[in-house]
Amino acid sequence: MSNPTETSVEVSADIEGLRAALPPGTAVPVEPFDVDGARPALAARPNTPAEVATILRCSSERGIAVVPQGGRTALSLGRPLDRYELALDTTGLNSVIEYAPEDLTITVEAGLTLRSLQAALGESGQYLPVDPPPDDRVTVGGLLATARSGAWRGHLPAARDLVLGATVAMADGALTTSGGRVVKNVSGFDMHRLHTGALGALGVIVGASFKVAPQPASHRSMLLRCSSMAAAGALARALWNLNLAVRAITVLGPRVAEAIGLTAQPAVLVEFAGVEAATTSSAGRAAELARESGARAESSDDSLWTKLRSLGGESSDSVVTRAGVPTTSVAALVEQAESLGFAAWGHVAAGAVWMRSTDAGEPRITALRTSAEAVQGFLQIESAPRGLREQLDPFGETERELVRALKERFDATGTINPGRWMIGV
Amino acid sequence: MTSTEISPLVRDLQAALGADLVLYAPEDLLAYEYDASIEHAVPDAVVLPVNTEQVAVAVRIADHYGVPVVPRGSGTGFAGGALAVQGGVLVVLTGMNQIREIDADNRIAVVEPGLINLQLQEALVPYGLVYAPDPSSQRICTIGGNVGTNSGGPHTLAHGSTVNHILGMEIVLPGGRVIWLGGRQVDAPGVDLRGVFVGSEGTLGIVTAICVRLVRKNEAIRTMLAVFDTIDDASEAVSEVIRRRVVPMAMEMLDQETIQVVEPRVHAGYPLDAGAVLLIEVEGTVETVAHDAAVVVAACESQRAREVRIAEEESEREALWEGRKSAIGALGSTSPAIYLLDGVVPRTRLPQVLRQVLERSAAAGFRCANMFHAGDGNLHPTILFDPQEEGATERVLALGGEIMQLCVEAGGSITGEHGVGLEKRSYMSWIFSAADLEAMDRVRIAFDPAGLFNPCKILPTGHGCAQGHFEPLKQHLQTTGVYV
Repeated sequence: MSNPTETSVEVSADIEGLRAALPPGTAVPVEPFDVDGARPALAARPNTPAEVATILRCSSERGIAVVPQGGRTALSLGRPLDRYELALDTTGLNSVIEYAPEDLTITVEAGLTLRSLQAALGESGQYLPVDPPPDDRVTVGGLLATARSGAWRGHLPAARDLVLGATVAMADGALTTSGGRVVKNVSGFDMHRLHTGALGALGVIVGASFKVAPQPASHRSMLLRCSSMAAAGALARALWNLNLAVRAITVLGPRVAEAIGLTAQPAVLVEFAGVEAATTSSAGRAAELARESGARAESSDDSLWTKLRSLGGESSDSVVTRAGVPTTSVAALVEQAESLGFAAWGHVAAGAVWMRSTDAGEPRITALRTSAEAVQGFLQIESAPRGLREQLDPFGETERELVRALKERFDATGTINPGRWMIGV
Repeated sequence: MTSTEISPLVRDLQAALGADLVLYAPEDLLAYEYDASIEHAVPDAVVLPVNTEQVAVAVRIADHYGVPVVPRGSGTGFAGGALAVQGGVLVVLTGMNQIREIDADNRIAVVEPGLINLQLQEALVPYGLVYAPDPSSQRICTIGGNVGTNSGGPHTLAHGSTVNHILGMEIVLPGGRVIWLGGRQVDAPGVDLRGVFVGSEGTLGIVTAICVRLVRKNEAIRTMLAVFDTIDDASEAVSEVIRRRVVPMAMEMLDQETIQVVEPRVHAGYPLDAGAVLLIEVEGTVETVAHDAAVVVAACESQRAREVRIAEEESEREALWEGRKSAIGALGSTSPAIYLLDGVVPRTRLPQVLRQVLERSAAAGFRCANMFHAGDGNLHPTILFDPQEEGATERVLALGGEIMQLCVEAGGSITGEHGVGLEKRSYMSWIFSAADLEAMDRVRIAFDPAGLFNPCKILPTGHGCAQGHFEPLKQHLQTTGVYV
């Protein structure tokens, strides 16, 4: 454990006191809430933000460690927990609070899944333009707390840029709101950005407002098979520079190509999105460019994206890492990762390289992190077995003093996700 | 002042930075007494650093003496964010104005905070790249200032505010430690301190280098002028465009009052008898632009547009934009004084709120001109008045407060892009609870435990900060001039 002082405190955790203090009707069976093989003593599924706040206050007063969870798709992101006594299930907070299609804004509770959110928006021909791994089981709270994005990032904004405001329950039981429901707002600090990517360590997101977008009138995908990773990288960058009506340009290593059902060969997967005339024309121009560069173009469907997206998700036997590198380094990092046994793919516009392996140990991950850092990038461990997350800092080098000061100000008792976040707070 | 009268603070600053980078004589400090707001304050010293180390050293010296530190760029802020209201050291960053790097292949640039926004745009032209944030003051405002206030601009509608375009920053923290927040790629691991820092108006540190994200210039662009008989129709047209699933790059509105002032001076091509015009720009591939422009024309015509004109030549496009970007200056030249407001409402509430703004202005006896970012619901009511007229200043201030209240009641915000600064700190409690503000204060204290960085800004409380800011504001408005 990274922080022995904190772990010694939990001996006095007043479980029975908290059990009695839980808001009526919120206690639920603990069995579904194991994390890293550990089962909590209590589980609660609150139905209102106020109940979340009450549970947090009662927990912090009693020295109870709380682990918020929604879709349970990212529980192996971060360091292993120091303590885990209460599972805080956010899925009871699943309402659409206000949807204003003509303003392109929506306000929802944090336990709502992306699937439900997209369904609500779809009725008005709109969507939240995000595609985080592994799929739309991700809750709104999870989307923000992990700040994950997918293939669209770089062509479209990320969740962090679409969130207009949020309501957060703090460890001491205060309910606070930041931002608002309008699409442009600079009143005060963007606290919703502070909580985006904070894994709940500074408070539990209970609701958020988003700027949404009209769904594109059409979309289509194209697979471009290449002779080498270098050729795939060059083709992907050339496509990016054409400024076509695209929503994703992703280079695939041979291993990942195989994993999604293709032949084991480097490739570029492109998604065109926009008005019909634009996607047709853009696809034609992409095919022409591919031909000139010796690649084979064929049309594809959404299923490849779905499979790729799910490969970014966690499983008990895999390691998933994500690097951020310059666009010009994406293909090289994909190639290196594949040579180390990873299935790897890279989104060129965001410079995001995802890598997945079932037998990656510390040396290989460190080698890839070193490569990413050599081009002024970073590597984050998105999910891994517990042992590996004890060995290696999932977040890499980080600003320590500010992180510590923030944790002390927002959760002095170490109530929420103790030990899991950056620098082990 | 003779050298023997130099304060220990100034003496130490001079020793560390060199005498020519430190101003302290009253006549030199006066130049830094104002920004573009209606208030003023004199710092104890002004430093003009040319590198990060000098900023850090100045901050350490200020910290040693326990005096405030206030960063400043061009001083174009409307909310008083760059004023040293409790004295101390004003760190003027206009000397740090270099473009350190343009990496066109990876679409990033690293710049210094004093670089003028437009100079970055011009440097990017040969690469076919664009830095998306384009505040109307881009000819003089700095990138560092844009970071401080999370600036917007007409193209925020499609691209988002400044924060979406900042990848990482070098920061001198309170106390003088130098760190990087974020990096050279999007979505750096963990907590997004970069995202919190942008828009913190100099309260959390001083930015000394900025890695910005660039976008490629689109292959096609079309700028249209839609002419309406009434503001209501123009507002409805904005909603109709969105309803037809097109989000243009920009949708700007100018009302009759503004048109009649701007057109004779700028010759932008706005019809003098129009009730309102919309300036709408769409970008993308050739096919996208053709489609979107057709939708925009149809949407405007469905809302009784008298005419929708498409700029055929680049010069025509530039003229249309010139009218918009010089509107404030034109208004300023036509009235003894103007007071520019910045508020946001949900886009669909625009017709109603605009109607109320005009009614309240008329009832208070003032002309009110409106030119604003209609697509974002970001209003800029501009009140024209004569401060020599008995009681006018008080009524203008009351009206400004009323208009902000209208925005809040409509579900909006007290500022969309100008910032809170000094001007609006007392309005913060209209939209945030005590707990909300206290949470913001926790961030501030985590960065600045001593509370020395840009005191009395953003948050409505602070040690030694006078609660009311209306008295100096009133005094200032009572002198003739342009206050925007």
